[in-house]
Amino acid sequence: MNSRLAILLALIWLPLTAYVMFRSALGAHGSYLLLPAIPSVIVLYVLALRSWRESWVAMLGATLVCFWLLMAVTAPYLPLLDPNKPLVPLVTPGGIRHGVLFLLGSDLRGRDVLSRTVWGCQRVLVWGITATSVAYVVGAGAGLIGGYLGGWWDEFVSFASNVLLSFPVMVLYILVLNLLGQSGFNIIIAVTCSSAPVIMRIVRGLALDAKSRDYIQAAQTRGEHPLWIMLVELLPNVRGPIIVDACLRLGYTTVAITTLTFLGLGLQPPDPDWGLMIKEGATAALLWKYSYMVIVPALSVSSLILGFNLIADGMREMSLRD
Amino acid sequence: MNEHSLLPRLRDQLNAGLMDRREFVRFAALLGVAAGSAYAMAGLSAPVMAGNTLPFPAAEPGAKRGGKLRIGEMVARMDDPATYNWNEMANQTRPMLEYLTMVGADNVVRPMLIESWSPTPDLKTWTLQVRGGVMWHNGEELTAEQVAWNIRRWSDPALGSSNLGLSTFAALTEPTGEKDSKGKPVRRPLKNGVEVLDRRTLRLNLAKPVLSVAEDCGEFCTLVVHPSFKAPLSRNPIGTGPYTLAELRVSDRCILKRVAKTTDGKDFHYWGGEVFLDEIHFYHYEQENQTAALASGSVDAIYELPVEQIELARSIPGARILSVETAQTLCCRMQVDVKPFNDIRVRRAVVKAADNAAIKRLVFGEHGLVAANFHVAPVHPEYFPLPPVARDVAGAKQLLREAGYPNGIDLDIVVGNNDGPWQQAACEALRDQVKEAGINLAVTVVPATKFWEIWTKVPFGATSWAHRPLGTMALAQAYRGGASWNESHFSDPEFDQALSDAEATLDVAARKAKMQKVEKILQDAAVVIQPMWRPVFILAAAKVHGYNAHPARQMQLNKVWIS
Amino acid sequence: MGNLIVRRVTQMLLIMLTVSLLLFAIFDSDQFREKVAVAELGGFGVATLSAGDYHEWLEKKGFNQPFLVRYGQWLRAVLHGDLGQSIEKDVAVSTLLKESLANTAILAFFVFLIMIPVSLTLGVLAGMNVGSALDRVISIAAVFTTSIPQIATAVLLTVILALGLGWVPAKSAMTDGWSFRALVLPLLTLLVYDIGYLVRMTRAAMAEVMASQYIRTAVLKGLPYRRVILRHALRNALIVPVTLIFLELNGVLSQVVVVEVFFQYAGFGRMLFDAANFGDIQVLQAATLVAVAVAVGSQLLSDAAYVFLNPRVRFA
Repeated sequence: MNSRLAILLALIWLPLTAYVMFRSALGAHGSYLLLPAIPSVIVLYVLALRSWRESWVAMLGATLVCFWLLMAVTAPYLPLLDPNKPLVPLVTPGGIRHGVLFLLGSDLRGRDVLSRTVWGCQRVLVWGITATSVAYVVGAGAGLIGGYLGGWWDEFVSFASNVLLSFPVMVLYILVLNLLGQSGFNIIIAVTCSSAPVIMRIVRGLALDAKSRDYIQAAQTRGEHPLWIMLVELLPNVRGPIIVDACLRLGYTTVAITTLTFLGLGLQPPDPDWGLMIKEGATAALLWKYSYMVIVPALSVSSLILGFNLIADGMREMSLRD
Repeated sequence: MNEHSLLPRLRDQLNAGLMDRREFVRFAALLGVAAGSAYAMAGLSAPVMAGNTLPFPAAEPGAKRGGKLRIGEMVARMDDPATYNWNEMANQTRPMLEYLTMVGADNVVRPMLIESWSPTPDLKTWTLQVRGGVMWHNGEELTAEQVAWNIRRWSDPALGSSNLGLSTFAALTEPTGEKDSKGKPVRRPLKNGVEVLDRRTLRLNLAKPVLSVAEDCGEFCTLVVHPSFKAPLSRNPIGTGPYTLAELRVSDRCILKRVAKTTDGKDFHYWGGEVFLDEIHFYHYEQENQTAALASGSVDAIYELPVEQIELARSIPGARILSVETAQTLCCRMQVDVKPFNDIRVRRAVVKAADNAAIKRLVFGEHGLVAANFHVAPVHPEYFPLPPVARDVAGAKQLLREAGYPNGIDLDIVVGNNDGPWQQAACEALRDQVKEAGINLAVTVVPATKFWEIWTKVPFGATSWAHRPLGTMALAQAYRGGASWNESHFSDPEFDQALSDAEATLDVAARKAKMQKVEKILQDAAVVIQPMWRPVFILAAAKVHGYNAHPARQMQLNKVWIS
Repeated sequence: MGNLIVRRVTQMLLIMLTVSLLLFAIFDSDQFREKVAVAELGGFGVATLSAGDYHEWLEKKGFNQPFLVRYGQWLRAVLHGDLGQSIEKDVAVSTLLKESLANTAILAFFVFLIMIPVSLTLGVLAGMNVGSALDRVISIAAVFTTSIPQIATAVLLTVILALGLGWVPAKSAMTDGWSFRALVLPLLTLLVYDIGYLVRMTRAAMAEVMASQYIRTAVLKGLPYRRVILRHALRNALIVPVTLIFLELNGVLSQVVVVEVFFQYAGFGRMLFDAANFGDIQVLQAATLVAVAVAVGSQLLSDAAYVFLNPRVRFA
């Protein structure tokens, strides 16, 4: 079960990430990269529905998240207008101009809102998932080192995480992004700095707890390498709470990316991005008539975050019931 | 006062139809003819001015005294007027300190603290007459010695004032012959550059002929301070204007109150006639928030209305949108000494693949004017209309093939949005256009502060150039070989010679002909893609009167009143 | 307990020292000096200055001394209470800090004033009746509001309340003097998220307590329902939410950055944002120290409250 899940996730995440980060290098045929991801998303969704049958909350969350995943991987194949090409400015949703239908209207510069929304979710998903994953790798690694190895390692890791935890999150993001410059990769670093300490604490606690367990001591007696013990024996047993935390963290990271882009510190234009759409909508179109420019991206990002939150809530509910 | 010797020639040209009336007024004013007389000579009715020598528009009938004007603009520090780098700093200071001359919204220069000016025919010696009866806030009267002190200060290279980029003050310096560590020649002030003749007369002895002395004295950094000035200005502002500083909190508010008494107890008498507002309040609002603030009634007028917010502005009941065409533009300039732009075929290909008119339409709609890549605007008096650059995608592809890029080329343009997001919109439009010629242009947006660190270093960058009253001014600062703001590293001795030639010519027909040569060289060299001249919009509530849009965004508030 | 405080405070001082040293080192590079020069003199201005004049300007600003010397000077000044001068705003950092902290404190005061009673009540009600219609509505609303990024809430509230209905000013710059109406939009933006968050946590804690053995025993024993709730359940259920409220002090400091920048409210978050963008290092140092103090302080208060309220830990 585990390896199937891992393969599915890799089939979705790797092509999508490669597509978003290296699109210019891949050229016109880059969209073929996404083909294996499309059936993977559908399979993932079916699996999620089956395992979370008892919690309609988790199923709803899975639906929302998989919907956006599907949008992200099929974006090049959908019959959408060019998201960056200015056509007719300020068309209200459902309007037809020059024979072109703008289902969700067009923004201030004339770009189609629907296509920008669909293409925008690629960036949010890729950077959000990547950043969270890196934070997990770093945080879990640090936690395992500190919890299992103890001694000086533990002191050092704990102190470093305390330093990072002493900042309010936004302050940390602003400092890191101002120092390193604004780009997607630096957002990963910023998110890692803010999330890894918390993850480290969780994993460290679990590692400390598990260290005294029998199966660990058995492995030690067997003479297994500490790294092997950490990864193979320890980690799988702490899966449950980590998945719940991961979903919540994905939600927070998505909010952070959107907010940072809004402040001008995050992903840079010109490609479509929900935070950017909200920002452009906010400066130019504060009229009720044009508020669709803000409502559409706001609803999109909210639904994605809602999806993550619902999955987390549903899983917690299910684990409580057991 | 004696008529200037060159005036009959100007009149002849006007009569022969070689110059239009508006240009005549400009040039006559530059020569020191009072604006009213110049308009009269041209057979035009002058905009009604309050008296022949006052630079302000006449007060509207029904103008009421009293009240306070709340303006939404970014509130900046006020340290040293000679080193101001934000327009907002000058706007806050302008009601308190004044200029020697004032460039109006119609681009005509009028006397302010200088009553009249007259050059010799070779345009190297200028005699300036200081206005009498101008009172400082400390009770003293303005003298020529004080004006001379200011001018000497502006032309001192050690101060680092951007005024040195203006021809007049650059012509008051000379090279010492040494070079500094950056390789730039070191300059020092001319020994007898500024000469005080008597209490109200001074003379400028310039190293080269300069046409634009009067206009240079109205640039935003040339505010006249009292010789007792010590930075920062905000601690003790002594000026000649009708207002003084009551409170300054940077990024928060700047409060100005009308001056009633001088610091030694006398009544303050303002030379410029009646002033209506009791107080002027500047409240700090970021650029994108100003319109919303006006919509909520928190302010009565704002610094600038960005073109993206025009819809929002239109929905505010009673608010007036005012606009003016300017010589402000976007220069997408290529560095001619860096690969691949060192090959003129590549540059020409990029220029040919662009469609300037389409970019203007996309960004500014029906406002603004189309430009043709030679950085002289229709609002400039010496503008020579060259034929527009026609879009030619096939030709662009051909040129690229010849230059060795048969499969197209990848380029990167850096834009800092230092004047607003419209710059990015223009670059993105350019990107879409040149794609058809096989040029993959990546638009890199950097924050404005970052942009200023790298603007002279990037091979392909998009800089916004501010409005200048004369066409030669921007050319001298940006394209003359070795100029400090020459971001494209363009260096053509023929161009430099032709430009100097044009700068020294008063005769309009000959000047225009000379400008034709200058413009053609620059256009053919394909150094810059300059799609449009942008318009400037401002917004004011219905109760504000006399508040006009100025092409250089200078707020002139002396005759504004509130109903 | 006293031990805990001493340990935490020592750790806090150590962290402050580390952080300030790091910040100082990072902001001391040539790149940042040029950034400040550009911000002060303007891009065109810096290009005009010759290399000699640029160095003179740097000297005048005090940028030329070696790093450790400047750090030592700063440290000594701070210990004497002088936090330096803001380069951007030309005002003493301590004045700036005091005013902006006061403004943020006012905003935070109102946030907590409304948030605490409202979310605790709603959370308890929902937790008491798990599965009922009331619970469903409250839970869905809470999850929904915590899923909307605050910038989206801010923009939508501006469109509806400020520009649409005109009830409140669109920006909170307080141009006409302090007025509560100008505070409404930032307040609502913060409340929408915070109330939702606290309701979820309270509901979860209450539900857990309601399902616990001793409560069920008390109900079966025949005790009046209300007494059961008020005397037994609440006390235990509110432990976690109360500790979370203390942690919210730190959370508000973070949320307030976005809200203040968008609404132009002159508080701590906006000061920090401006300073970070400009490279105004004295302000940034001072603000970071305050942020660290608030974070550690709120954690300390939260832990102390937990120990105080949780009898199992207190009498352990």
